[in-house]
Amino acid sequence: MNDAGRPIAPPKSQLAYWIFQLTGWGLFTVTRFVSSAAVLETPWIRLLLENLFLDGVGLLFSHWLRDFVRRHHWSELPIRKTIWRIIIAGLVLGAPLGLVTQFTGLSALHDPAFLKPYAPAIGFQLTLSASIAVEIVNWAVVFIIWLTIYFTAIAVRKHRSAQLKQSELARALQLAELRLLKSQLNPHFLFNALNTVRSLIADNPSRAQSAVTRLANTLRYTLSSRQDELVTLSQELDIVADYLELESMRFEDRLRIEKHVPVDAAGVHIPVMLLQTLVENAIKHGIAESPSGGVLRISAVLQNGMLVLEVENPRPPAPIRTAHEGVGLRNAHDRLRLLFGERASLELNLSKPGVATARLRIPLQQ
Amino acid sequence: MKAMIIDDERPARRELRRLLTDFSWVEVVGEAGNVDQAAEMVETLNPELLFLDIQMPGGSGFDLLSRLERLPEVIFTTAYDEYAVRAFEVDALDYLLKPIDPARLAEALGRVKSAQAARTPQPDAVLEKIFVRDGSRCWFVPLREVRLLSSEGNYIRLSWGKSQPLLGRALAALEQRLDPNRFFRANRRQIINLDFIENVELGVNGRLHAQLRDGPEVEISRRQARLFKTKMSI
Repeated sequence: MNDAGRPIAPPKSQLAYWIFQLTGWGLFTVTRFVSSAAVLETPWIRLLLENLFLDGVGLLFSHWLRDFVRRHHWSELPIRKTIWRIIIAGLVLGAPLGLVTQFTGLSALHDPAFLKPYAPAIGFQLTLSASIAVEIVNWAVVFIIWLTIYFTAIAVRKHRSAQLKQSELARALQLAELRLLKSQLNPHFLFNALNTVRSLIADNPSRAQSAVTRLANTLRYTLSSRQDELVTLSQELDIVADYLELESMRFEDRLRIEKHVPVDAAGVHIPVMLLQTLVENAIKHGIAESPSGGVLRISAVLQNGMLVLEVENPRPPAPIRTAHEGVGLRNAHDRLRLLFGERASLELNLSKPGVATARLRIPLQQ
Repeated sequence: MKAMIIDDERPARRELRRLLTDFSWVEVVGEAGNVDQAAEMVETLNPELLFLDIQMPGGSGFDLLSRLERLPEVIFTTAYDEYAVRAFEVDALDYLLKPIDPARLAEALGRVKSAQAARTPQPDAVLEKIFVRDGSRCWFVPLREVRLLSSEGNYIRLSWGKSQPLLGRALAALEQRLDPNRFFRANRRQIINLDFIENVELGVNGRLHAQLRDGPEVEISRRQARLFKTKMSI
């Protein structure tokens, strides 16, 4: 038989299936045997054999039914179509078993004559065909219940794997988002730095050499930052120093740098490229926009289980607005939210005249 | 040819100066690091060519151009600016990307040279082109291509090809700098380019109606109509 389209169940769920099957049918047999032996006068050994035979066939039928249902993908059908199929399948499989049951000792359980002592009001006799119909319906109900349990189990499993997939998807999306939000290579910086290097090659070859090394460090860090999420503050400061060295070759005395970072803050883990983004922003909107330049101040302090990082830059009186302004800060904001939720914050303080301060608060990791 | 370098970064200016030593016919007469300084120097030094950075503190290269009375030739120098590229879409200007490729510099200078050679010498006071900035778009507009200048308050609306850019000047001030052989004051609000007149019809009260190629019909006032007739000898 060619059933290539049939889904192959993993061994674990195959085992679970057999445990459920045998337990279900076993309990069914035991219950029916005990109840029939208790009320019927038929020898118990005959009742046991008949029960075992009928329920064994029932087990085989249900197993074959499962095969059939899977081959025809019933679990993918809309619920109304499934209900009709369940009822018809129950009757089709119930018919032979019902017919056989009629000729076993168990049929006595449905004999009105047998019920007479318990309910004297019963005054009718069942014809043979009606009695067979009762047996068939009984068995049909068994298969309908079986199929209902089967489809419920499938639906639960499907729902669970969909949930799992959903959360995996959400995680992947978050990772992709984080990657995207990380500061990308800033082409403006790159080409200006290259131009500076070109100029230094003639003017000051040893400075040009140092510029190339620093540029290489900065590029390497930016490119490899895609792998790590968090770095120590001192790692990030190293790269900020390289970057600032390059920018001071460009801006010369327009860029003056002050740094206050206590030793105990150096080991704190911060999101990679975040301080760098703030410093780049300070250069772009502070130093580069002001003809006389100014002081770029970086300071860190540990306060109530938080690292507070500040980047301060001069603010030109009439900043020239461009479409891209704020993208860096907004991305930094989104990254912080993704990594730390509500526990971290980033704000831009413009309350002091002529100064812009970006303040970053990050919880200390345990 | 007298040239000026305008860039806020000293290493960048130095590098360009060094590259220009290969072109003996280009003489760098000055350098400026910001727009204010540059505007002042351009007025006094009167360079024929500007090497102009776009992003500078206190105003962009475009800001400088819209402040200048007389426009020299301009070669933009930029490290990376989508800005600039947008401006060049509408105008055939030259620009150099930093670090500057010496071959590209030679090419750009060659273009400046041939543009200068092709130009008919004009009296100094006559404007040939103006820099117009309307919203985020920039143009170098050759005035001989403008068919109509209309006053809109303190601004001038230029009818130029398919565009109608707005220029931040008063019509009366610009009129004195226009070529009198080409431009004619039609009425209180409008100046027309005589090269664009398709036909002229007589109107009531001695007025004239001039139909411009690709453009509107302009009414020539009675007083100006008399002048117009003498000028065109009709």
